[in-house]
Amino acid sequence: MIARILIWLLIVLVAAFTYPGALIVSLATRVAPPPTASTGPTGAVSWLHVAHPPDTRPYIADEQGRMVLLHGAIPASLLEFGPGSGPIYPLDTAAYENGQCPANSRSSRYPPLCMADLSQMAALGFNSVRLPISWSLLEPQRGRFSTAYVDRVAQIVDWARSLRMYVIVDMHQNAFSHFVGAGDSTVDLAYNSGAPDWATFTDGMPSHVSAGQRELNAAVLEATTNFWYDRDGIQDEYLAALAFVASRFRDDPVVAGYGVYNEPLFGWSVPPGFEDLLLFPFYRRAIDAITGVRDGIPCWSGFFMPAPCGYRDLGVGDRRHLMFVDTGLLREVTDFPTHLGLPLSSYPNVVLAIHAYTHIYTIDALTGQKAANATYPWGGYDQSYDLAEREAKAMDAALFVSEFGNAPADDDLILNAQLLEQEKHRTGFAFWPWKESGGGNWGMFAPPESPDASSGCLRVSRERMLARAYPRVTGDATLTYHYDPSDGRFTMHARGQAGDPTTGVYVPRSVTGQITSDGAVRVVVSDEPDGSRIAFASPTGGDFVVAVSPAPLALTGCG
Amino acid sequence: MRDRAATRALVLGLLALPFGVFAPFAIWSGARSLRRIRASGGELRGGASAGGGLIAGLIGLATFLIGTAYWLIAS
Repeated sequence: MIARILIWLLIVLVAAFTYPGALIVSLATRVAPPPTASTGPTGAVSWLHVAHPPDTRPYIADEQGRMVLLHGAIPASLLEFGPGSGPIYPLDTAAYENGQCPANSRSSRYPPLCMADLSQMAALGFNSVRLPISWSLLEPQRGRFSTAYVDRVAQIVDWARSLRMYVIVDMHQNAFSHFVGAGDSTVDLAYNSGAPDWATFTDGMPSHVSAGQRELNAAVLEATTNFWYDRDGIQDEYLAALAFVASRFRDDPVVAGYGVYNEPLFGWSVPPGFEDLLLFPFYRRAIDAITGVRDGIPCWSGFFMPAPCGYRDLGVGDRRHLMFVDTGLLREVTDFPTHLGLPLSSYPNVVLAIHAYTHIYTIDALTGQKAANATYPWGGYDQSYDLAEREAKAMDAALFVSEFGNAPADDDLILNAQLLEQEKHRTGFAFWPWKESGGGNWGMFAPPESPDASSGCLRVSRERMLARAYPRVTGDATLTYHYDPSDGRFTMHARGQAGDPTTGVYVPRSVTGQITSDGAVRVVVSDEPDGSRIAFASPTGGDFVVAVSPAPLALTGCG
Repeated sequence: MRDRAATRALVLGLLALPFGVFAPFAIWSGARSLRRIRASGGELRGGASAGGGLIAGLIGLATFLIGTAYWLIAS
C-alpha cells in the first residue's frame, strides 16, 4: 500500500514539475485576464506597448496604437569583460557631461559611450539603442547594487530622451561570466561577460574552450546550469538586480523595456526541455517579479524552482514596459525553434527577441561552409524569420531582432538579406556592435586610426544599408515596404480609413530622392534640422503609396 | 514474483513526463505488463508500477499532443 502511494506521489510530483505542469500554467496565462497597466507620467516619447490584434501577429505599438519599428545599434562599453574586474570607463556621470568623452582605453574592445554617439545614431535614422549592461557591475557584491552604474544608464537614457530615442536596457551576458576561470590558452576571458564572481559556481570544472566557441567550456556550462537551477539563490539575486534597474525607470517611457537575459545558454540541459522547463519559466518569474502579475503557482525561492513556479512581487509595480525575451542560444545555430512556443505570461507586453546570425553561427558556418553556397538553412534566411513569426504568434508576443551583425565583407550578401527579411516580416532591429576600438571588425565604424580615438570613420556600406528609409510608425500593421540601398528608392503600400492614425516615413539625410504619394492619402513632409525628412501620411480612405524616387545617395562614410 | 516489465513501464512513464517521446513506449510496456499480471492469477506482482507507468505515459502523451496542437493552432 505504501509503495503504491509513493509511486503515485512520485508521478504527481514529476508531472507537476515538468511538461504537464508547465503546459497547464502556460495555457492558464492565455485565459487569465491581462493585468491593468500601471499609470505613469507622459514623456518625451510615446509609451510603447504590445498590441494584440485578433487576426495578425502582435506588434510593438505607441499610445495611438500605431505599429512602431525600432531601428538601432548596440554599444557595448557598459559591459564588463574579462580578464580584470571593475569598469574600464568611469561610471561617474560627470566625466560625460557637457559633451565630454573619456579617452579610449586599450583595455577595452569598445570605446566609451558618449552623447556624440547617440547623436550619430540619430543622424543615421536610429530611433532606439539596445544598451547592454553587466550583472557583475550592477551587483558586484551580493545584495549590494551599484547606484553609480544605474546613474550612468540613466544618463544615457537622458541623452536618448533629448533625441527622442528609445532605450532597451539589456541584461547581457556572454558565456555566463568572465569569472569562470582563466583556464588554459584556449580561453580568452575578454569575450566573457555577465555574472559576478560570487554567482559563478564552476564546481571545479576545467575552463577549456572547445572548437573555438567560448560557450563550449565545461566551466561555463556548469556555472550556467547552476544559474538555471538557482544554486544558492543566485537566480533570485538576478531578479532582484533586474528589479533594482526597473524600479529606477518605472515611470520613464524613454526606456522601451528590458532584455531579461541575453543569448541564454543551455548549460548541461538539452532543448526543448531547457527552454520550456527552465528558461521560459524563468522569464515568467522575471515578469511576475517586475510587474506583480501572478502567473505561476506560488512556490518557494532560494533554490531550484520548477517550471510551474511563479515569483513574488518585488514591489516595482511596472506594468508598462516591454519585456524582451531572447530565445535559447541554440536557436541561433539552428534557425529553428528549440522550444514549444507556449504562452509565457498574462502580461501583454512581451516581445520575443531573436538573434539573426544566419550563415555566421548557424550549423553550416560552424561546419566551415561559405555563406554564398551553404546547404543550410534549407529555408534560407527566411526560415528563421518565418518560424519566429509563428513562435511569437503562439506566445502572443511581438517580434524583434535584438541582435544581428556580420563582417563588413559580407554586407552585400548577409546584411542585405537580413534587412530584406526584416522588411518582409515588419520587424525592428538592433545592430551589433556600434563601435569597436580594436580587435573586432564588425562595428558600424572602422577601427580608430590612433589608439586614443573613439573610432575610425563610419563604414560606407553600413551607412548605405542601415541608414534607410522606413515607416517608423504606422496605423496599418499589414503594410508592405521596401528600401533599395543601391539608389535610395523606397516604396510603401498601405491602406487606412479617413481619421486613422498617421504613418510616419523616415527618410535619412543620405537619401535624396523626391518623396511622392499616390492613392488615398494626404502627405506632409517635414524637413528636420539634421537634414532628414519625415513624411507624415494621413489616410483618406483606401489604399495608398508613399515612395521615394531613386537618386544618388549622399553618403559620408569611408571604405 | 514481480513482472520485470512493470518497473520498466514506470521508468518509461516517468521519463515520458519531461520527454514525451517516451510516452508510447511507457503505454505499450505498462499495458502489456498489466495484462500479464492480471492473467497470472496473483502469481505476478507489480500492478502499481505497471499502472503508474501506463498513466504517466498517457499524461505524457496527452501533454505532447496538446502542446503540439496548441502550436499548430496558435501559430
